[in-house]
Amino acid sequence: MKSLMPVLVGLVLLTIGCSKERNFDERELHLISPEKIAGFDPIHGSDLYSANEMGKVYEGLYEFHPFKRPYELVPNLAESLPNVSADGLTYTFVVKKGVLFRDSPVFKDGLGRELSADDVLYTLKRLADPKLQAKGWWLLDDRILGLNEWREKNAPLEASNYDEVIEGLKKIDGYTLQIKLKKPYPQFLYALAMNYTFIVAKEAVEHYGKEFLNYPVGTGPFLLDKFEQSNKIVYIKNPKFREKLFPSEGEEGDEKQGLFADAGKKIPLVDKIIVDIQVESQPKWLLFHKAKADLLEIPKDNFDQAVVGGADLAPELKGKGIRLIKNPMLDVTFFAFNHEDPLFKNVKLRQAMSLAWDRGEANKLFYNNTAIEAQSVIPPGLGGYRKEFKNPFVKLDLELAKKLLAEAGYPNGKGLPEITIQTRNDTISRNTIEHFSKCMNKIGVKVKIGVNTWPELVNKVTKKQHQMYTMAWGADYPDAENFLGLLFCPNQSPGSNGSNYCNPAFDELFRQSTILQDTPERSAFYEKMNEMVALDVPWIFGFNRTKFYLSHAWLKNFKYSEYTHTQFQYLNVDLEVKKELSKKF
Amino acid sequence: MKTNSLWKDSFKQLARDKISLISLLIVLFYALVAILSATGIIAADWSKEVGGSNLPPSFEHFFGTDFLGRSVFIKLIRGTQIAMSVGLATSLIAIPIGVVLGAVAGYFGGWVDDLITWLYTTFSSIPNIMLLIAITMILGKGLFAVYVALGATSWVNLCRLIRGEVMKHKEREYVQAAGAIGGGHFRKLFIHILPNVTHIVIINTSLQFQVAIKSEVILSYLGLGVQGEPSWGTMIDDAKLELAKGVWWQLAGATLAMFFIVLAFNMLGDALRDSLDPKLKGK
Repeated sequence: MKSLMPVLVGLVLLTIGCSKERNFDERELHLISPEKIAGFDPIHGSDLYSANEMGKVYEGLYEFHPFKRPYELVPNLAESLPNVSADGLTYTFVVKKGVLFRDSPVFKDGLGRELSADDVLYTLKRLADPKLQAKGWWLLDDRILGLNEWREKNAPLEASNYDEVIEGLKKIDGYTLQIKLKKPYPQFLYALAMNYTFIVAKEAVEHYGKEFLNYPVGTGPFLLDKFEQSNKIVYIKNPKFREKLFPSEGEEGDEKQGLFADAGKKIPLVDKIIVDIQVESQPKWLLFHKAKADLLEIPKDNFDQAVVGGADLAPELKGKGIRLIKNPMLDVTFFAFNHEDPLFKNVKLRQAMSLAWDRGEANKLFYNNTAIEAQSVIPPGLGGYRKEFKNPFVKLDLELAKKLLAEAGYPNGKGLPEITIQTRNDTISRNTIEHFSKCMNKIGVKVKIGVNTWPELVNKVTKKQHQMYTMAWGADYPDAENFLGLLFCPNQSPGSNGSNYCNPAFDELFRQSTILQDTPERSAFYEKMNEMVALDVPWIFGFNRTKFYLSHAWLKNFKYSEYTHTQFQYLNVDLEVKKELSKKF
Repeated sequence: MKTNSLWKDSFKQLARDKISLISLLIVLFYALVAILSATGIIAADWSKEVGGSNLPPSFEHFFGTDFLGRSVFIKLIRGTQIAMSVGLATSLIAIPIGVVLGAVAGYFGGWVDDLITWLYTTFSSIPNIMLLIAITMILGKGLFAVYVALGATSWVNLCRLIRGEVMKHKEREYVQAAGAIGGGHFRKLFIHILPNVTHIVIINTSLQFQVAIKSEVILSYLGLGVQGEPSWGTMIDDAKLELAKGVWWQLAGATLAMFFIVLAFNMLGDALRDSLDPKLKGK
């Protein structure tokens, strides 16, 4: 075996050495997808990674502004934001004129035809088609007038009848359509920015049938060139892409980052995108370091190699021009109490436990000191979050914790039964509970771990079979309603309120706020709810986490977004810099 | 001529072989550590912080500290207790089942044999780890479930060996003689035949013991084993992430601890076979 080693090493080096010369003539973007992609059918893409790929070839009526924060919805295929009736029920949309589908044999003469209002209606109906069992149906379920009825009516039929006119989905003229809702749903527009509602062409769906997921025919900035499911995906620039210009506005400080160097230019800016599919973290790290990937989300295990002291880029990477991009995520981690357990009706016990948890140490141990301590349920970056607000129970104060525990009726934990916390069966989750348990021990609260697979955990939470559990919540869309709803009484299990928390005053405010459009008034509501509920400690609030990316110097215009699927068209590659720096790799 | 009993003879042979003697001493040492830990004389305060997070091995902390600053050495001792208790409990469950079922099947034959053969072939056709997972799902997770799960799956081999051996013995002259002087089935089987197949039990136990220890480590590594207490499996699981940071001592400690006991049991099992199995005698 020993004698074979040099041969093997030689072979490996040979394959690396023989790899293709780098291409400095074309603007090629090299990306990594950490998951295999099932296909390109928008209505079935329920995960972030498929959404990322679909966003390159398909488009929706709206998208999130690539640079503005807090996230702002801007028109994409729609001409403008819709005209909404005073009662908030009727939305009138106008689609842009002159938008072409890509050339494809499914169209007459093989030339892409123009997008019309019919395509939007067809797309929405397709999402509701009972034959297709779309993963994104929940977005429209019980929202649009007559759509549920259409779905039910078509379920027993051989094929769904798309020609039937539905009351809530009406065409006004070739470019205008009207959607009528059953009740106000201010988050409706967010649904039109998600991949589920990316506009598809009827001809392509009918022509390809079951193979549709492999032959995307969209209006997007790129065309699918090669699709090797578990290996790589190649896109080329769509030559017939409409006139879409690079934005010139964003958040404060974006200008300094050089994000507007391409302002006013026609996008997309790169000629080709090559997506490598790499599931394991070590190959990702190596690809990036061989300059074969332009962007990398730092694998957890490699964090210490990339980042020094939890904040700065390692000097050797700096020397290669690599940049570190960190961004807070729209998420919150938490330890939830089951409020149906009589034990946790005792607010002082909840507060005492919150005060006994050493968040500083947890941050160091599990997040390399990069997370933000969550003060309440809304994470920074959303309307309703106030930087100045500090939750008096989100800190380490063992004296006060002991005092509150005694007032709760359990001096030094006497009389308090052992509490079981349900969590997932991975190492980090287990370590987190071990640490939590150690902290609770200091005030005499005994904590036990319950380990579950992900489906088991979800099942226990849904069936209310837990005392406490720990999880994280990420924003489905950038609206604090998505977070506040986690504590809304009617959302109790099996809904999203897994802690079964009920607070009538909070519920009343929530009801009033959910029918409001995105206004300062609504943000004020959110602030009030967020801060009111914080003092009641419905959960032990954990952290708002931070995501870390590494980017090579030649990758331009990258700004972290929670909604990456429409982000890639804005990226650019500086060939001069790439040529120069490539010598170092 | 003075003759020694089979047991005395075998022990002498075992003691002559240095490697098997060392193996026996290692096993006894682990057993002692486990007993001392179980009675609370040592390693009772394993969850105490003894220093900073992830300190490398030093004279103060032989195997360094873990992420919470607990001594890895003390956790290893605690892990030894868990591992040995799993081996012991598994044997205590598996041996009676295996011996009784195997003996009955081999002795009576006919439909009894068919039934028991069916039972153990069914058991052995289910992948072991799947059965273990299923049992821990029913009983809930924890040490008790591990005992039962491993005990319930590890009797098959022993049962099969005993069955074959009893079949052979029941036709022998000494059993016929026992029958001729009026011995009943029970007497023939348990008083006459069983003592003659005990060596199989001993050899098998020694080998089964280390399989149980390994299984416990695997189950704990997968999060199905011991909960809230240190086990070699959970320590190796911890190390999975720490390794990228250069924290190797938990992995090294747990692996070494496991390595020695598994090796010792294997060597001992072989040595026992050599000295106890009449067929291998004198070779």
